[in-house]
Amino acid sequence: MSEETPQEDGQPTPPPSSPAGEPAPDNWLVGDSAPPAEIPAPAPANQADPEPAPAWNAPEPVAEAEPPALPEAIDRRSFLSRASSIAMGAGLVGSYGVFAAMAGRFLYPAHPPLKGWLFVIEVAAMKPGASLTYTAPDGATIAVARQGLTGQVGDFIALSSTCPHLGCKVHWEGQNQRFFCPCHNGAFDPSGKATAGPPKEAGQSLGRYPLRIDGGLLYIEVPLEGLPGPEEA
Amino acid sequence: MISPIAWLKERIPVDGDQLAELSNEPVPNHLKRWWFALGGTPAYLFVVQIVTGILLAFYYEPSPRTAYGSVQYITDTAAYGWYFRSVHKWGATLMIAAVILHQMRVFFTGAYRKPREINWMIGMCLLVCTLMAGFTGYSLVYEQLSYWGTTVGANISGSVPVVGPFMRDMMLGGEAYNERTLSRLFIVHAAILPALMVGLIVVHIALIRLQGVTEFQFKDEPADKPKHFPFFPDHLYTELSIGLVLMIVLSALATILPATLGPRADPLSTPEVIKPEWFFYVTFRWLKLFSGTFAILSSGFIAFTMFIWPFIDGWIRRKSKFQEASVAIGILAVLAIIGLTVWEAAVAH
Repeated sequence: MSEETPQEDGQPTPPPSSPAGEPAPDNWLVGDSAPPAEIPAPAPANQADPEPAPAWNAPEPVAEAEPPALPEAIDRRSFLSRASSIAMGAGLVGSYGVFAAMAGRFLYPAHPPLKGWLFVIEVAAMKPGASLTYTAPDGATIAVARQGLTGQVGDFIALSSTCPHLGCKVHWEGQNQRFFCPCHNGAFDPSGKATAGPPKEAGQSLGRYPLRIDGGLLYIEVPLEGLPGPEEA
Repeated sequence: MISPIAWLKERIPVDGDQLAELSNEPVPNHLKRWWFALGGTPAYLFVVQIVTGILLAFYYEPSPRTAYGSVQYITDTAAYGWYFRSVHKWGATLMIAAVILHQMRVFFTGAYRKPREINWMIGMCLLVCTLMAGFTGYSLVYEQLSYWGTTVGANISGSVPVVGPFMRDMMLGGEAYNERTLSRLFIVHAAILPALMVGLIVVHIALIRLQGVTEFQFKDEPADKPKHFPFFPDHLYTELSIGLVLMIVLSALATILPATLGPRADPLSTPEVIKPEWFFYVTFRWLKLFSGTFAILSSGFIAFTMFIWPFIDGWIRRKSKFQEASVAIGILAVLAIIGLTVWEAAVAH
């Protein structure tokens, strides 16, 4: 009886319990099949019989008992199939995910617009109270004005001609001493601060460009890339 | 509270089982052999070309003033631009190779025979579209070789009797390369050819589904073995695996041999050595071997013969005892193609 005999359903026959009626150890089963959830209880020892009947030989009504409920067996083939599916899914998500991330990075602008310092005018050539219109390489028109006498950079101001409300172009109204935006009647004082219209309500001022003086020359920092104006196209 | 899936099913009344049933046509066992997956390979590469092409089109500017600079920007400045450009270039190379190999497989297994003659001709149209996409795509870079390659290609078209000048003018948007040529080539490359190919691929696959895949029985297959396997998920998994392998191969090629950029096109100076892409080496060598008109007419005749080959083959099989004459003819043609290609690759002029 030491050899396992396959049952009809393919499950190996459980080995006997110990003569003392102790259940068989949990790891009795070798292979892919799971152990039965319930092992038949040993038959009560007969006092007259010095050799108690082994449990597997006990006259239990085995035929009437429900077959033991087996936990779902982990079949090697289905395990490999599942593992390969997961590996493939991970490969697909990983590779195409990386591809999509790279595509997103590719489409996002490669760098902020390049800026540079460009010459505007000689400081001595611009009297206090004077102004000029400077056109940046990107086509933006910039109002540059001198408002002081010291000859330092603080005397100068460079204001964007683009209204901060919705991007229309403002123009200087000399008689009213203001910049005016015709789109929604926005107005700005000579320092670029909003004085009327939607920009005032939103607290938006005209953009300012950095200036510096080097060797008596006035320079402005502006974007170097941009769309050409109609005269350049 | 209705679940999102139930909500969706209520509005789109198609369930997964129905979709699986629709795609679950039995697939013949021979499709487990990799060389029979060569039809799916160009289809997958076509999708790669569409995706990378759309990405490149975000930055490409099709005019002689800006084209070269925009390709330079893609290659040197845009993040991963070199990668997408290289994948696009290698995808084209592999796609053309896969289409040719697929066509050879169909030819040598006689899979074009009745009732699949029309699908062979659609396949031929797809081959021509793929070669045209390769030609127009190469032209867009606007480097020296691509500029002169386009010029030579257009002039070859122009020397076709009767319709040649019309074809050349349509291709270039004038009698010679001009300001409007690149935008024309770009639209053909990025809109007209892809749209045409999508339509042809749909009909190609529809006919395969209607007629079924040609059945082959191999000697090493036991007779009692099932002759088919399900499309879903078995064959789908195969195609997905091929897709992953192709993606790895493309990425490796793009990284090891990235697309380069030659000198900017100079319409006043023709390079010493001028070559088209490798898939036109055959035609290029053929044109060098024979006089212009004969070379062009004979090229057209060969292409037309290939187009109507199923009918020629049917006629040969009916009228003669050489039932597999196509195999001998095919071997000769392949040897000629390889020979001319290697010849052109090996010499400067």
